[in-house]
Amino acid sequence: MVKLVGIAGSIGEQSYNRMLLEFIRDHFKKTVDVEILDINDVPVFNEDEDHNDNPVVHELARKIAGANGVILATPEHNHTVPAAMKNVIEWLSNNVHPLDGKAVWIVGASYHTQGSSRAQLHLKQILESPGVNAYVMPGNEFLLSNAKEAFAADGSLKDARTVGFLEIVMKKFLTFMKVIEMLDAPDPKSAHEEDMDSKHPVNTTVPDVDMTDPEWVEKAAEKMHAASGGDYVKLDRGLLTVDQLNYFLNSMAGELTFADDNNQFIYYNKTADAAHMLAPRTPDQVGDPLSAVHPDRVIEHVKQVLYALRTGESDVVSMPAQTGPNQHVMHYYRAMRDENRRYRGVNELVIDIMPILKYYLAATGQKLVKDPDAVPMSPITGLDAVTGASAHSDPTKTDATSGASGSKSVEKPAEKPATDATSGASESGNEATVAPAAAEPIDTDALTGASEEPATGYSATEDDAPAKQPAPTPEPESTDTDATTGASES
Amino acid sequence: MKKFVALVGTNTVKSTNRKLLQYMKKRYADDAEIEVVELKGLPIFKKTKEVFIPQQARDIAEKIDAADGVIIGTPEYDHSIPALLSSALAWLSYGIHPLMDKPVMIVGTSYGTLGASRAQAQLRQILDSPELKATVLPSSEFLLGHSLQAFDENGDLKSATESQKLDGLFDDFLEFIDLTEQLDNSKKLHEQQAASFTWDNGTTGDDE
Repeated sequence: MVKLVGIAGSIGEQSYNRMLLEFIRDHFKKTVDVEILDINDVPVFNEDEDHNDNPVVHELARKIAGANGVILATPEHNHTVPAAMKNVIEWLSNNVHPLDGKAVWIVGASYHTQGSSRAQLHLKQILESPGVNAYVMPGNEFLLSNAKEAFAADGSLKDARTVGFLEIVMKKFLTFMKVIEMLDAPDPKSAHEEDMDSKHPVNTTVPDVDMTDPEWVEKAAEKMHAASGGDYVKLDRGLLTVDQLNYFLNSMAGELTFADDNNQFIYYNKTADAAHMLAPRTPDQVGDPLSAVHPDRVIEHVKQVLYALRTGESDVVSMPAQTGPNQHVMHYYRAMRDENRRYRGVNELVIDIMPILKYYLAATGQKLVKDPDAVPMSPITGLDAVTGASAHSDPTKTDATSGASGSKSVEKPAEKPATDATSGASESGNEATVAPAAAEPIDTDALTGASEEPATGYSATEDDAPAKQPAPTPEPESTDTDATTGASES
Repeated sequence: MKKFVALVGTNTVKSTNRKLLQYMKKRYADDAEIEVVELKGLPIFKKTKEVFIPQQARDIAEKIDAADGVIIGTPEYDHSIPALLSSALAWLSYGIHPLMDKPVMIVGTSYGTLGASRAQAQLRQILDSPELKATVLPSSEFLLGHSLQAFDENGDLKSATESQKLDGLFDDFLEFIDLTEQLDNSKKLHEQQAASFTWDNGTTGDDE
């Protein structure tokens, strides 16, 4: 659900602006989650003092940063915004800038006929100053005049037309928020324009922390007052503490990496030390721009993967890394998108599919044989434009739409050519044959460049010689150490 | 000799507006007695049933009552005046009206180029509101940009152009005070309005 925070601009016992916010909260509770923030205890702003000294300011900044949009309800004092509201904005435009890039809707209630017209104008001017840099919804002024008579005893607005107008404006604000959230989306016009140095901050980018700092995680977490340990996080769909999230992600069957839409490497599930990972990452790398974790010569390839995902050309790109008789490591790059279909980054899964294949063969009493009719294919899927692996006339060619729906049907028998990006993983297992390597190699590990050697050999048959191993990537000694394969082989 | 209260619009120790007001106090010592008054310590304005006004605000109001005019030095925070100054003006119009028909001169400094131009424009609007109704010196912007570099080690303005401009404005202000003495028609009306003042009757532009 869309999350909004509301701030009533005056402090004191009774405020029609707070009543107005409460009405908005209750009236729209089925579609919007509005939390009203209390600003009564915010100290007087002083630029000599650090906001970190004040937990009230902290909390306000954190809640605003976490909201999709902000509603400010302002009365008018002396032809301007109440000092209490201005005071809050000053705190939120000095060391922290949670309103930066945030969609804001101004409403106002007042005793008399002017609504709070002058205060609203001043507030707009304030919010658009560079230190605040909020996006105020234009037009649609909501001025509730004669506030004393406007509310019924139960706090609802008496006038149906006023409520109707409020509904129209809320609807517009919901759209406005979507538009605003798209504004900072990086928009490269070609793969070459992908910014591997992460110099186009998005609304989740942590400002003013050096991305290459080995302690980026610690510093960025402190800066953003990040939840940790036993703090609860509401998810879609579930509720976990940060600790529980870590248990969960760190016990995943594959290695996961998150690079955001600014091409910044911001997370991996730390399942093991780098030496024991299929695609080694080290804790100090987190926070780095993707350019810092890739050798120059693979950068253009990585850009092609990112661009294909960002533009929706593909929803998944997959490619093999270390391959051999006992190991077939796949890298799956999935586009992550928000509810508006905006690209929010790449989810990389690195997983050895050989144990799965071996289990399947053992469980069904089958073995691998060469397919004499196999059509050569690129081991890389989802990058048609790059590899030319699937002809454009191919009716099964994955496009963004079918790819998205295909991801729900990975279990269906694979009759389609293996060029289908989303079902490629299951096809290998089902057919029990794999086409020989065909297309040009692409350097693996688009996210971190941990594997620097191209995956040349591509073969899964037991008799074939092991493929050339990527030099910097230590392969596990044998699959016997893998608890999963061990079980199926015994 | 005329007496002035000079309000420092911010609470920061490094305020260049305070520097400017102290410079004016020194420079015009032969013509005027300027007392630089701090707003630091004033709480954020808040209405109460008891119409409580902090003692610091009452003290400032007394000083303003006893003065011939007020000089306000404002920086610009987020394209407007600091909440502290806004709060002070709210206290100074909450059941007390020391600024009503009081001649006011606005000056402003900023670290950047613009010299608090937007804050000054808003301040004029605020001082013109019915519950304040100060008499602001017209056509008199003094915007001191790049204020961190503007003063020498004695606290004097380095730029002769700027100091001459300020001299001219201050001379105008002295004459303006004498002129406003004659504007007593609207003064009576303002006093009547002030007498019937409440924050709830809808005449004040306030909401609660």
